[in-house]
Amino acid sequence: MSAVSHRTRLTVVPSYRIAVGRGLSILAALSVVAITLAAMGRSPIELAALVVRSTVGSRFGIEDLALFMTPLMLTGAAVWVGIRVNLWNIGAEGQLYAGATAATAIGLFTHWPALVALPAMIVAGMLAGAAWIFVPAAARAWLGVSEIVTSLLLNFVASLLVYYLATGPWADRVTGALASTERLHMAFPELWGAVHLGFILALATVIGLGIGLAKSRFGYETAVCGSNPQAAHYAGIGVAPRILAVLLLSGALAGLAGVFEVAGTVHRLQGGLANNYGYLGIVVALLARGSCLALIPAALLMALILDTGIVLQTTQISSSAVLAITGLLVLAIAAGDELAAYVRVNRT
Amino acid sequence: MADVTHTPNAPPRHLPAGTPPILELVNIAKYFPGVIANEHVSLNVFPGEIHALLGENGAGKSTLMNVVTGLYQPDAGEIIIDGYGTTFPAPDAAISAGIGMVHQHFRLVPRFTVAENLHLGWSETPKRLSAKDIEARAKALSTKFGLPVRPSAIVSSLSAGEQQRVEILRVLSRGARLLILDEPTAVLSPVEVGELFSALRRFRSEGGAVIIISHKLDEIMALADRVSVLRQGRLIGTHQVADVTPDSLVTEMIGRPVALATSYPRQASAPEVGKAEPLSLQQVIVRDNAGVVRLDNVSLSLRPGEILGIAGVTGNGQPELAEVLTGLKDPESGTIFLNGKAVNRADPAMFAHAGVGHVPEDRLKRALMPGLSVAENMALREYDHPPIGGKFSFSMPQARKFAQMLADKAGVKLPGTQVQIRGLSGGNQQRLVLEREIRIASHVLVASYPSRGLDIGAISAMRDMLARARDAGVAVVLMSEDLDEIFALSDRIAVLYAGRLMGIMARADAGRDSIGALMSGRSLSEAA
Amino acid sequence: MSLKDLTRLPRRRALVALGSSLLLPSALKAAERRFAPIREEDLLVGFGHTSPITDGGWSYAHNQGVEAVKRAYPAVKTLFVESVPYSADATRIFRQFVAEGAQMVISTSNYGDFIKDVADRAPNVAFMECDGHTVSNNLGWYYITHWYASYVIGIAAARLSKSGKLGYVASFPVPSVYASANAVLLGARSVNPNATMRVISINSWFDPQAATEAGAALVDSGCDFLCGIMDDPGYLRVAEKRGVWAAMWNTDMREFGPNAYVSSVTLDFADFYIQQVGARIRGEWAPEGRFLTLGKGVDRDRWGQNVPEAVQKEADAVRDRMLAGWSPFQGPIYDSDGKLRVAPGHVMTDAEMYGWSWQVQGVSGLG
Repeated sequence: MSAVSHRTRLTVVPSYRIAVGRGLSILAALSVVAITLAAMGRSPIELAALVVRSTVGSRFGIEDLALFMTPLMLTGAAVWVGIRVNLWNIGAEGQLYAGATAATAIGLFTHWPALVALPAMIVAGMLAGAAWIFVPAAARAWLGVSEIVTSLLLNFVASLLVYYLATGPWADRVTGALASTERLHMAFPELWGAVHLGFILALATVIGLGIGLAKSRFGYETAVCGSNPQAAHYAGIGVAPRILAVLLLSGALAGLAGVFEVAGTVHRLQGGLANNYGYLGIVVALLARGSCLALIPAALLMALILDTGIVLQTTQISSSAVLAITGLLVLAIAAGDELAAYVRVNRT
Repeated sequence: MADVTHTPNAPPRHLPAGTPPILELVNIAKYFPGVIANEHVSLNVFPGEIHALLGENGAGKSTLMNVVTGLYQPDAGEIIIDGYGTTFPAPDAAISAGIGMVHQHFRLVPRFTVAENLHLGWSETPKRLSAKDIEARAKALSTKFGLPVRPSAIVSSLSAGEQQRVEILRVLSRGARLLILDEPTAVLSPVEVGELFSALRRFRSEGGAVIIISHKLDEIMALADRVSVLRQGRLIGTHQVADVTPDSLVTEMIGRPVALATSYPRQASAPEVGKAEPLSLQQVIVRDNAGVVRLDNVSLSLRPGEILGIAGVTGNGQPELAEVLTGLKDPESGTIFLNGKAVNRADPAMFAHAGVGHVPEDRLKRALMPGLSVAENMALREYDHPPIGGKFSFSMPQARKFAQMLADKAGVKLPGTQVQIRGLSGGNQQRLVLEREIRIASHVLVASYPSRGLDIGAISAMRDMLARARDAGVAVVLMSEDLDEIFALSDRIAVLYAGRLMGIMARADAGRDSIGALMSGRSLSEAA
Repeated sequence: MSLKDLTRLPRRRALVALGSSLLLPSALKAAERRFAPIREEDLLVGFGHTSPITDGGWSYAHNQGVEAVKRAYPAVKTLFVESVPYSADATRIFRQFVAEGAQMVISTSNYGDFIKDVADRAPNVAFMECDGHTVSNNLGWYYITHWYASYVIGIAAARLSKSGKLGYVASFPVPSVYASANAVLLGARSVNPNATMRVISINSWFDPQAATEAGAALVDSGCDFLCGIMDDPGYLRVAEKRGVWAAMWNTDMREFGPNAYVSSVTLDFADFYIQQVGARIRGEWAPEGRFLTLGKGVDRDRWGQNVPEAVQKEADAVRDRMLAGWSPFQGPIYDSDGKLRVAPGHVMTDAEMYGWSWQVQGVSGLG
């Protein structure tokens, strides 16, 4: 018998196997990267030391990780709530812009005290994110139009709209800052270095979401709709309104990411604000698999990858190479997940 | 088992002694984590033989066939083809050795034509092809193997029987000498079953070998030359069909004698059949999405404490009737009365709250969430009120407790309430659905083909449950393609033909002939 | 924006600083900080570029300056990152420079708050921002007064153009583009008062296809002289093919259209960078806003082969006057709505032109 004959695929893979599989595959991917770097005449050990020192090994590095994690946790959560019920919100990028735009409006045109303005930004940003996905969501719920395409296309609309605002009516006339609005009048207070309150709120949102979905009737009903819409109909659960609700929730989460990004990290609305966080949220959600709380380590891993990319750029490793490394890591993790499902069968 | 009739190595009696087997399995074993799927299975199949494989759900029939077709590698034992030991690293190796399998769920591309499906993934498909060419080739194949198909038809528009013919034709066109069929008659009408059997007999007479997996003992008795029985992964015996009886096969399958009762008398304590009508239909007409009339002017009323059997060939309006009775579908015209009140709008939640339980035809597709846990699946009917849930809340610990309670009641041993329900056997899924539905069915229980895919032990348990519900005063609607089942359980029998209710009669007044006549669309007077 | 706005900057900065003063008491205390002398071999300078240094344009020009620094101070270590996005990632890159031990960080393009936030948190590091606007305790800016070179080219444009219609391929309606387009037209009108300019914005500094299309559209509408601020020679090729004139920016691009090439606004940061790095080594560096003037960092390029000598001489005479201290940017100057923007007699300061946000009379399409 061939070696394959003693292995079989598990339908339900225990999480410790996933952890081991991912650990090994990340190691494998990093070895490939190290060998490639060595072949290019760079010292992988020096680079690795630099990366460690500049990410988890320094105050600046840790602050940067937290700043990266803040939007990633939320866009990850936005995509994750959708995937949980078989809906793919590819438009978190656009909803992030929508949320950021709403928060910017409050930040630029009101002079409310922070205690009023910041909660108002959160509410307005979440509503704007939800509004941005409303049409794709309703079209999916009642007409069966694929949300993947519609939500994706709205990303471009949102990006151009923000661009228009940042260079047109809301353009900064004070400092002439390129393609951005004036600095917002208020910001989420910084707690530790550049790490602001948004990080704590994002963390709390993800934890709250996980608990909320597990313990609520809404969570159960949407899980049923996602797993089998026919069974939901059979049980008298209206599928369309719940699809709408889940997608609106998803949009609101992405919108919240935009609020924290604009009013916590960047302080101005500008064209490149979303920084691909919406798309990276898809990766974060997939890394987290079935668990909402796993979004936190998944976002941390993604933040580490992004931060590593920036560190490597200062050593003249081009941003395309960094992208390739990112892709290799994600591919390795996906392969690790798959391999973790295979077990050796012992003869009895 | 030291049974006198167990003669594993002798060919069927109509073949000359010394005929070499086409396939020999020697001490095959296959293990999954914590499960022995097959162990010590030795079996041979001769050219010119129809060999039946019998066993309960989970007895290891499918695993064994997956080993034979190269899908799984055996963990021990040998596969011998035409006298040569061989291994199948992948299914294509088995196909080139002349082994072809027709699965229970067809593996056709629904949007392709018959001809396209036949030519898909086939080494002999011409490199450049036109629709005309491949249709001509399909026609030739169809003639050669005596299986009539329409090459230009889109597969999704075909009946189950026609699709099965395409599937068989595809396997045969790849040069199969050994044809394996997994429950081929489950989805066929009686006429189609007859056509299938004559095609298989023709294949046998030309020297082909057939392995057929089935639960239906009468079919095995009618069709097969030899029969092998599997229990808990082990081969219990191989017999000449002429030497066994259905009862002896059941005993061997289950390990104890089980006979399906032919009647389920009312318990003495059970209340009389009531007069109230928990659910009734008046002149209901239903059309499907294509505008075809599926239910044509159907009127009927249910009575508490009574089982109403709906006989009829599959595809004559049964799914639509079940959907109308459970609030899943609005009729185009006519009225549904639920507890005496006319229903304005189909609302499955309202029907469920009014005590209407529903065991649908395809439980995995309609009544269960395959990817969710047993606990979540069992909570489906009672998640919105205490103890499991409320207006906003949902308690997983309570759902688990509830699921465990249902499983205990249904006699299902669970590996845990958190496992995905798709990991359970079909029989256990069905028992759990039945238990869940009976719990809420305080007034009406609609059961569509509840024995489909169940082994005989599970069928027996399921029938007992229906009878208990009846005795508790529930109005039960039983749809079945198995007339024995209808006759065994029903108090009244109705026949559906082409969406029309051909008549409702008391069990005592119904004969097999008259019901059979109604099922084929003749009216009672014609039949008489 | 005007000088008045610029003078308001310190107050804005004070407000911002007040907002973060709870976290950064040291930033205010450091007001008198001197940057101590440092040995050449200990100095690490980080450069952040907005595009690849091989772009043949803006970043290429800056990198030439970096190379000159390396030749002048061979022991100085340098770091650089290309294609720094205008986003929070820019902050991360500048922070990384600091984390790797840079004592001097130079961004060769505007990064606004993204560089200021880092500067505020790293008070011991010297920051310089090209095209910046903020001077703080450790952050200064520098820019080129490219409008004088553009004015010289404008004179040649008016002499070369038969139709008097000039075309301008713009990126964004930002001050440097306003200043560039306005200066060319003001130069042109000094010899042909009827000259006009049409502007098409393509929302990019580097998009050869869009630049080519914009150039073709301008020629179609009657323009026979093309100019702009682009990092690629897209519209120069159009001019060569269509038989009209073109002036470029950043570098000498005559090889892409030798017949159409008039001149270019060329940049040279070598002296400035050598001087700044030297100042930092000697401990004399101080944050300031600094314009690199005509002939000292920015100039017109050697004239094209087909530009008649008379035209060259006429334009260069004006250049000589400017080098001697004369400014052509004097009132009255009207905007495209006919409103008087610069009072008669007033000479626009470099700071005013650095913040130009309106198009002069005769320019259309910039907003």
